[in-house]
Amino acid sequence: MNTPLLQIDNLTVSAGGTPVLHGVSLSVNAGEVHAIMGPNGSGKSTLAHVLAGRPGYLITGGTVRFDGADLLALPAEERARAGLFLGFQYPVEIPGVSNAYLLKAALNARRRHLGEQEIDAFDFLNMVRERMRTMHIDDALLTRGVNEGFSGGEKKRNEILQMLVMEPRLALLDETDSGLDIDALKIVGRGINSLRAAERAVVVITHYQRLLDYVVPDQVHVLARGRIVRSGDRALAVELERRGYDWLLEPATAMA
Amino acid sequence: MNALERILSDFGSPAGAAPARLAAAQALRTHALPTRRAENWRYANLRALEAVRSFLPGPPPTISPALPPTLPGFSRLVFIDGHHHPQQSLPDASLIERLRHAGGRIPDESTVPFVSAGDGRFGLIARMFAPEPLALRVEGTLALELVSITTAEAQGSYLELDVLLAPHAQLELVERHLGGAGPTGWSCVELDLQLAEHAELTHTRLLQSAPDALHYDTVAVLVGAHGYYRLRQVGAGAQTARSTTQVRLAGRDARVQIRALATARGTQTCDAQFGVLHEAPGTHSDQLFRGIASDRAHVACSADVQVAAAAPGARVVQSLRGLIDGAGAEVDLRPRLTINTDEVQAAHGATTGRLDDDVLFYLLSRGLGPAEARSLLKWAFLAEALNAIEPPALRRAAGQAAAARLADTPATELLQ
Repeated sequence: MNTPLLQIDNLTVSAGGTPVLHGVSLSVNAGEVHAIMGPNGSGKSTLAHVLAGRPGYLITGGTVRFDGADLLALPAEERARAGLFLGFQYPVEIPGVSNAYLLKAALNARRRHLGEQEIDAFDFLNMVRERMRTMHIDDALLTRGVNEGFSGGEKKRNEILQMLVMEPRLALLDETDSGLDIDALKIVGRGINSLRAAERAVVVITHYQRLLDYVVPDQVHVLARGRIVRSGDRALAVELERRGYDWLLEPATAMA
Repeated sequence: MNALERILSDFGSPAGAAPARLAAAQALRTHALPTRRAENWRYANLRALEAVRSFLPGPPPTISPALPPTLPGFSRLVFIDGHHHPQQSLPDASLIERLRHAGGRIPDESTVPFVSAGDGRFGLIARMFAPEPLALRVEGTLALELVSITTAEAQGSYLELDVLLAPHAQLELVERHLGGAGPTGWSCVELDLQLAEHAELTHTRLLQSAPDALHYDTVAVLVGAHGYYRLRQVGAGAQTARSTTQVRLAGRDARVQIRALATARGTQTCDAQFGVLHEAPGTHSDQLFRGIASDRAHVACSADVQVAAAAPGARVVQSLRGLIDGAGAEVDLRPRLTINTDEVQAAHGATTGRLDDDVLFYLLSRGLGPAEARSLLKWAFLAEALNAIEPPALRRAAGQAAAARLADTPATELLQ
């Protein structure tokens, strides 16, 4: 049996002295798309940020292995270079740092990590422009500050553009669908699907089933009260859309 | 003797001194030096003056220091310790003809009073001692670079320049204050700039004195109707630096745009004061300041805008931001806005803080290392002020000067 690309075992996390994750276990194989759904405050974003290495969380127990290595031992930048990408729910604006600069710096950081040469400026521009077309992003945004003055939809598409440029092994997309109209949702879905490959995996965190119409998951998990309480296939997402989450939060039906 | 007494003693009673010098000495005697009790001088390191061994101007230089590359299309005048250095200057003939004058002052100093009484006192010292005061009347267009190098260890370096722009004249004035190779003393500069109606002046100041120097400068600007004064100032030099800029928008629809930045590290102090007085209807001021203090350095900026009752329709924009980048660093921003008329559009903001953790994490999550991310964010913080500088060669030089006083060196690519 192949080693999972991401293996989380009994992960417990506190933030500001309050336990947030109460023993999350999850296994994601290369080539798979997983969806994590759950009500507000269930710990979905915390899980994504902890995996990406955001400071401010206390790991109180459990292990996380990424491509066989101890992920929690790595600082955030090394996780990114190793191929873990976090798509932010609220991408920050960075006036004064152009999109082009960040994309190139990010890509080269990853290439150096992989022992590859830094990308040639001409090749970089060609590659980025091609991916911008996929994401329906205007060329002019390349020279603008990162997310500076972007609409909500542009910010989310820009996150996916960064993902496509960095070509991560594992993409964690934290509510990338929130705030998107139906056209933007299709574009984002197309972008995510274009990254699907046998050597990569995607974990989509979402409240709603609608993104999963475009990005069909192999597995769906429900995170509630800091635990994964139910896992299933795409049918589970459809059922959640119909029934909500309450039926999963009753003690008798919750999984340990 | 205290510093004032020594300044006046060094000046003495020179026989045959130009009336303007004597008047300056008398004015200084009357007003005395400012103290930190004065609001506009709270953050200036005035005690450093006590360490100046002699306020007399240094002798004409015997050396030819290395100079930065010339700017295409600019005439260049080089001053070493306040003395014109013709061998290293590259003026065109008409400029030389227009520049020199003996002792007198044009424009008339009485037409350029300061907004805040007493803020021009260091300008008085420059006027007392400047060995070669200059005056320039600009008709048509001119691009001029002034390079002032201070090498005198034990004495002063003084520069005084009066510029009058005729109606519709356009001047690009670049001022670079540099330190020599060795330890340097103190430099003091005064500029009086008058813009007649429809005249435009783009004034770029790179203040890059040696790291152990004292630098005080005073710039007074009078803008006539429909005139436009653009100031780009980079404070990135000296152990103690204080810049005082006072702009009077005296004519209808006169405008000023200020883009200033300061970086300081170690125990350096960089204090900038910008005063703007709206005196006429339809005047417009737009001030932007960005300052970064690293280590235990101190960056201060005071921006004082006054809108007179006679200036309805004035527009005021003011944005001051400071970044604290060291456990012992300090940034003090003091925005002040006094409006004496009803019909004004004003937008202003002042914030001081540290690098945003959310933004830092965003960059780390893209694979940038902590040092690179911090450096990039600091560079971005300065960009709005820095990007106003033209031409690109000067912007690069300004960026390199500013970067030299940051705790992290920006990526070479950013400095291009």
